[in-house]
Amino acid sequence: MLVIFEGTSQVETTVRAVLADILGLDAGRVAAFTADTPLFGALPELDSMAVASVLTELEDRLAILIEDDEIDGEMLATFGALVQFAARKALV
Amino acid sequence: MTGARFDHYDWAGGREATLRFGPDTGPIVVAALPLFEEANRTRAFLVEILRALADRGIGSILPDLPGTGESLIDTRDLRLADLRQAFATLAGTLDAPVYGLTIRSGALVDRDARLAGRWRLAPQTGGDLLRELNRIRAASTMPDEEDYAGNSLSEALLADLRDAAPHAASRTVGLESDPRPANARYPGAPLWRRSEPGGDATLAEALAADMAGWIATCAG
Repeated sequence: MLVIFEGTSQVETTVRAVLADILGLDAGRVAAFTADTPLFGALPELDSMAVASVLTELEDRLAILIEDDEIDGEMLATFGALVQFAARKALV
Repeated sequence: MTGARFDHYDWAGGREATLRFGPDTGPIVVAALPLFEEANRTRAFLVEILRALADRGIGSILPDLPGTGESLIDTRDLRLADLRQAFATLAGTLDAPVYGLTIRSGALVDRDARLAGRWRLAPQTGGDLLRELNRIRAASTMPDEEDYAGNSLSEALLADLRDAAPHAASRTVGLESDPRPANARYPGAPLWRRSEPGGDATLAEALAADMAGWIATCAG
C-alpha cells in the first residue's frame, strides 16, 4: 500500500517541473505523466548523466539530501516512484 | 557595437584568449563561466547575456581561463589559485571600473580580483561542486578514478575546491525555482544542468537588464 504524505502534491509539482526543466521536455508532455509513466529506460533523455542532474536539482528545490546509496533503478522506474521517493525525503 | 572581437591577455602562467563584446569605454564586465562540465552548458547563454549588455552600452570580456577553452594548459595541471590569478591579472590591466559577472562555480574564480562589484547568477560553493562532480562520476558508465565527465582533475585541485567559497557578493540573482537567498529572481530553467541546453534569450535579456541597472547604481 502506498502511503500518501501530506504535501505530496507540491512535491509532485516540483518533480514535474524538474523533469521538464532538466530534460528539456515539453511541458504538456510532462503534465500528462501519471504515477505509472515509466521513466528510466523509457525516456531517452534520462541517461545516467541526466539522472545525476535531476536528483541534484531535486535536492536544491526541495532542500533535501539524497545519499548515493539510495539511488537505484526502482526509485526512477516510474514517475510515481520518483514522487514517492522525493516526498518521503521532503516531508518526513 | 555588439560584434564579438577576439583578443588575449597575459598572466604569470602564459597567454590566454578572450572574447570582447560592446564598447571599449565605460565600465567593463569581466565574466567567468562555471568550472568543468557546466562551462560547456552555459557558454552560449553567457554570450547571450554579454551581447545583451553590449546592447545596453556595457562592454565585456569573456576570458579563457587557464585549462579552459583554447588554453594550452592541461586540466590535470590546474590549481584553483591559477584560475584566480589569471582572472585577477586580466581585471587588473583594465583602466576602468571592472565588474565581475559569474555563473555558478565561476563565483569561486573572481575572489582575488580588485573589482568595483561582483554580480553572480546562482553561485555555487566548492563543496557543492565537488558533490556534483562525484555524483556525475558515479553515474558514468565508464567510471575512471580521475575522470569527471571528461575532465581529468588532480587530487590537488579537488582539495582546493573542498573548502572554496565565493567572496562576499555585491549582488546575487537566482532562478524563481531556487529557494536559496538572492537579491532578485527570474523565471527560467537551470541550463547548467541540461545536457543540450541551448540558450534562453528572454532570461539573458532579464539578467542583462538587472546587471546594467545594478552597475548604474554602483556608479552612483
